[in-house]
Amino acid sequence: MQDLISMPLVGFPIIASLIIMGTISNMSEEVREKLVNPIRWAVLIFSLVLLGLTTTMFYNFFGDLNGFEGIAFNTYEYHIRYNWVESLGIHWSVGLDALSFPMVWLTTLLLPVTIIATWNEKNGAFYHPLLLLMGGALIGVFVALDLFMFYVFWELTLIPMFFLILKWGGEDRKYAAQKFFIYTFTASVVMLLGLVTLYFLQNPLEPLAHSGTMTGRTFDISSIVSHAHQANMGGNWFLGASMQKIIFAMLMLGFLVKLPAVPFHTWLPDAHVQAPTGGSMLLAGVMLKMGAYGMFRLPIALFPHALEYFQLVLMAIGMVSLVWGSIVCLGQTNLKKMVAYSSVSHMGVICIGIATMQPMGWAAALFMMFAHGIISPHLFAVCGAFKHHYHSMEIGSMRGMAKHSPWLATSMMFAWMASLGLPLLAGFVAELMVLIALWHFLVAEGWSVLWMVGPALVLAVTAAYYLWSMQRTIFEGGDETQPPASMDGQPIPDIGNHEKLAMFVLAMFTILFGVMPWIALDMMNDWSIQIFEGLIMPILGNFNGGV
Amino acid sequence: MSGSSSSEVVHSSMAEYAPLIILLPMLAMPVILFLGKVFNTNPTWKNTLKEGGIIALVAMGAALFISLAIIKDYLGSFSNNGDIFSLTWLNTAIWEGGASTTPISFGFGIYIDHITVMLLFVAAFLCFLINIFAIGYMNTDEINDNRNHRFYAEFVLFCAAMLGMVLSDSFLWLFIFWEIMGLCSYLLIGFYYERPSAASAAKKAFMTTRIGDVFLMIGLVMLWDLFGSLDYSIVFDPANIALVNPGSLQMALGMMFIGAIGKSAQFPLHVWLPDAMEGPTPVSALIHAATMVNAGLYLVARMFPFFGAESMSGELVDLAFIIASIGGITAVMAAGIAFVQDDLKKVLAYSTMSQLGYIFTGLGVALWLANSLDWHHDSASHTIVVVAFGAALFHLFNHAMAKGMLFMASGSVIHEVHHAHHHLHHDDHGDDDEFDAQSMENMGGLASKMPITATAMLVGSASIMGLPLIGGFWSKEGIIANAWRVALEDPRFLFPAACVLLGAGMTGFYMTRMWVKTFAGKPNNEVAAHVGPTNSWIKTPLFILTFVTLSSILLAGMGFTHWAPDSEYSFLSDKGLGAGIMYELGHAFANHDAFYFILTYVAIALSAIVGPFMAMSLFGGKLEEGEDCKPWFKPVIALNNWVYNKYHWDNSGIATSGLAVALQNRLYIDKYYDLAMVKIVAGFSNKAAEVDTKIIDGAVKQIEDKSQKISTIVRSLTTGSARDYILWVAIGTLLIFFFIWGVA
Repeated sequence: MQDLISMPLVGFPIIASLIIMGTISNMSEEVREKLVNPIRWAVLIFSLVLLGLTTTMFYNFFGDLNGFEGIAFNTYEYHIRYNWVESLGIHWSVGLDALSFPMVWLTTLLLPVTIIATWNEKNGAFYHPLLLLMGGALIGVFVALDLFMFYVFWELTLIPMFFLILKWGGEDRKYAAQKFFIYTFTASVVMLLGLVTLYFLQNPLEPLAHSGTMTGRTFDISSIVSHAHQANMGGNWFLGASMQKIIFAMLMLGFLVKLPAVPFHTWLPDAHVQAPTGGSMLLAGVMLKMGAYGMFRLPIALFPHALEYFQLVLMAIGMVSLVWGSIVCLGQTNLKKMVAYSSVSHMGVICIGIATMQPMGWAAALFMMFAHGIISPHLFAVCGAFKHHYHSMEIGSMRGMAKHSPWLATSMMFAWMASLGLPLLAGFVAELMVLIALWHFLVAEGWSVLWMVGPALVLAVTAAYYLWSMQRTIFEGGDETQPPASMDGQPIPDIGNHEKLAMFVLAMFTILFGVMPWIALDMMNDWSIQIFEGLIMPILGNFNGGV
Repeated sequence: MSGSSSSEVVHSSMAEYAPLIILLPMLAMPVILFLGKVFNTNPTWKNTLKEGGIIALVAMGAALFISLAIIKDYLGSFSNNGDIFSLTWLNTAIWEGGASTTPISFGFGIYIDHITVMLLFVAAFLCFLINIFAIGYMNTDEINDNRNHRFYAEFVLFCAAMLGMVLSDSFLWLFIFWEIMGLCSYLLIGFYYERPSAASAAKKAFMTTRIGDVFLMIGLVMLWDLFGSLDYSIVFDPANIALVNPGSLQMALGMMFIGAIGKSAQFPLHVWLPDAMEGPTPVSALIHAATMVNAGLYLVARMFPFFGAESMSGELVDLAFIIASIGGITAVMAAGIAFVQDDLKKVLAYSTMSQLGYIFTGLGVALWLANSLDWHHDSASHTIVVVAFGAALFHLFNHAMAKGMLFMASGSVIHEVHHAHHHLHHDDHGDDDEFDAQSMENMGGLASKMPITATAMLVGSASIMGLPLIGGFWSKEGIIANAWRVALEDPRFLFPAACVLLGAGMTGFYMTRMWVKTFAGKPNNEVAAHVGPTNSWIKTPLFILTFVTLSSILLAGMGFTHWAPDSEYSFLSDKGLGAGIMYELGHAFANHDAFYFILTYVAIALSAIVGPFMAMSLFGGKLEEGEDCKPWFKPVIALNNWVYNKYHWDNSGIATSGLAVALQNRLYIDKYYDLAMVKIVAGFSNKAAEVDTKIIDGAVKQIEDKSQKISTIVRSLTTGSARDYILWVAIGTLLIFFFIWGVA
């Protein structure tokens, strides 16, 4: 099979952006200014080519729509493996399955959308290539099937984001960039420790298979997963029951901080508020999903025993994130901060979906990752436009938007409604499925149905903070509205065509996946059933005697 | 959609076009929005296409046409009962223990039965008429200039959602369209976004119904867990119902009922409805008559098969009692508040709440009967259940028609009062805001000036009051009689039964008060004296609805009071129209059972004599000298004048009493809700936001601080000597090694 991933999806974006930035860094200001337009067009066209490629993969080369449906557990489409550092068992191994593919497609969708939405960002000669670098690194995380590679790309994503915040951010950008970097880096160090421990402790079951390696061990995820699977199914917990829990906890810490889950979430509002619009869009759209993706890829696939052991903890973390995030939203006066906390709340849904230990809950979590990946960039694009045009982020500083900026008002209402889970928009399906899975789980396992109070409360509170913020931005005012003080008497502009186009694209996809969720959901569902039937169910059956 | 159609497809020529009823208005929305954006201020767009009004009208007309064809088909044969088709919408799976996962799918399809048909007609017919009215109302007011396309776009989406809710074949899609309707009502109530009151009312409407919706959603999840599906064809199957634990089912249905309370503005989630008057008048008609508030009734009516199942016999009576009681409380409470309202539309809003309460009581009673009687085998019980359920649904029909008409008529009044005010004060825009075109204090004596509107108002009021032979009389008597029938069996029902009987008299009072204050008496100020007749876009629907309301005796004779899915009670059953009418008349006025005979006349006395008499003694009077009115108003006004002159009394003592003040303040319920929102919810969330920054993030900052201090210590270890570093590396490696060793 041709390698359609390594170079086209990961290598070229990173190399191209590095070459562009390297070349222009030596040029004078004037030359750089002249090059802004060609560069951003080049970057846009390049990202559209990437989108075309992944969309083609979506259709499995125009075969059927279900290219990623029904593939067996721990097998991957477009799977390629080269030896990298042979002596340590490090490979360059890439592949796609229904877990990673929607995320890769989402990244390639958001790249051009983000570039278009922030077309006129200052210092564009650096800015747009940096977005491309970010995209390449993010795709790298999702396609990596080797622990080493996974970690490298995981950390690589920090660098462009760090610079995006540091160079294009708001007033407190230095503090926010540092906090973002140190916070998530610290967490990933714990994760790294977990990965290294995992690497060393894995049983060199088939020494011959890795005879080339000095340690007899491998970083290859698919090998580790199949070893783990064998061990778990054979009745011996992979790495032993207690070690499973320890590594599970270490990995989960890294992922939960990235997600982020309460109480590890405070880096997010700071980063978002200070980040430029494009950074926020990618951060909320894809980067947060790295956490959820990592959970499915490693701890869940490897340590089912630990997953069951920590189920209550995970459920509690999910509930707390969900409820706390939404309540804090209601108390925010800063529009972007409110939206950032709403992400925390939505990520709680993913945690709950995982903790239900139901294929339906997992499919819902996967769909939530995807749907939130389309909706939240829209939210941040609206916030960015708000800031850009009114020079203020305070809710209530600008009223009567429906009159002054009807396009922005319409976009805002659409995004807000999508985020609060209006049916036939993408977010609703995931919410509904999580609720059903949660209830089914609670009743079947005999947990208290009071767990349901959390989601119920949040459904109401989410509506409350979104509606209240709209009341004070879109509505009211009218003829008596004075432009906010931050406008300095300037006329109030509506959003430009670039922003309109970007928001329109996101809105269309929100509707598309809301009305026809099966396009993405069917493969996620198949994957969830695959991993659940292949991995979790027999083990739960063996060790607990079923429910 | 992804799956193929199911095997239970019933082939029927018209019903296959049912999706168009939803799709046409839904597709009209982007078209209107787009054209409106592009051609805004273009004269053709404005005058010929009425800023999208004509496009909407075409879509709604097509929807109405297909609906009527489907209804005709259905009533002719009852053959296409149930699922017309169904498609898979989403697939997933669940694990219930055991060796494999269970696949689950949620589908979308069209479901037609007698409840669908009733609601489909009400919704499609009224939406069409309201659309005609809107063209006359919205397009002649300059405040709406250049933004009517937004109104029509939101309007058609609203209609599409309502029609979709009625036609869909599962509780899931009912909920989906239910929510979209909520969104549209939010947008329409907030149509005048620049008014803070409209913005706040829109938020209040969405929030209040959302609270109900949360319960509805959880109820649906619970229902799903009981049946493994939300499709009507599965959950209504008696064989499936027989497998379900009654207590759990009652819990799920109770949760769903809370959703209905929110949507249909019943106590205690009623607070949004009066505020929703901030929307333009066609919206009020739409929300209150045709669509949104009926959604809750529809949901409860849909629960009938659960209550009617033999396996549930006697198990769900508590829920039936709760439904009837909520209805009873609301009927009386809202009628009481309507006593003291001066705003024409608010009187109608509270009247809506009150009448919806009636219908809930009627449904609760019918559900109790279905749940308690052995109606599957006993034909007398069968008739009782069918008639009780039919009465509730018929009242829904009558109320929708009458209230749609009343709202449009009130809109016409307001429109003309507003214009008269403008006409009088065209050079004096200063006091525009002071003048309230909706207040009945600015009306009076309009009967001579707006004959069609006044007639429509008169007939509508009579229907709502239940004056004998007109409109709601047939259904209201049925509800009251059946409530008492149940009360004789189950003493708990004495409460809702007493409420609806009392409410009948109260309705007589406030509806009469409204009419005589607006149309009888002398003009209250010079504005009211200058009101002119209205345009034909507005008159047409009023005319049609007046006719429908007046012909309700025909409908009753045709079997509307026996609204049931079986051919035994079908339209124009063996009796024929004449015999049917005679039967209904005899049944209503000459009941063989002494109890019901007396009850009927007590109810008639309360609603048609006591209530109107009290109102007439306080308000109205004869018209201005020299004003002439249509002959059919003359007896009404003469009676009003006679009562007013002879029995007028000073009610200022009552009007300033504590109760009246409390009623004027809506019994302080809104106030306490607001207080709870501001003090508890907002206060708590502000605290939470503070805790998040100060404590959670504060802890992180502490760690940051400390670690900086530690790092200065660590920095002292940076000796620059390679030997030291090697030592540290060695120690570190050993530690990791021992750590791993120890654990593994």
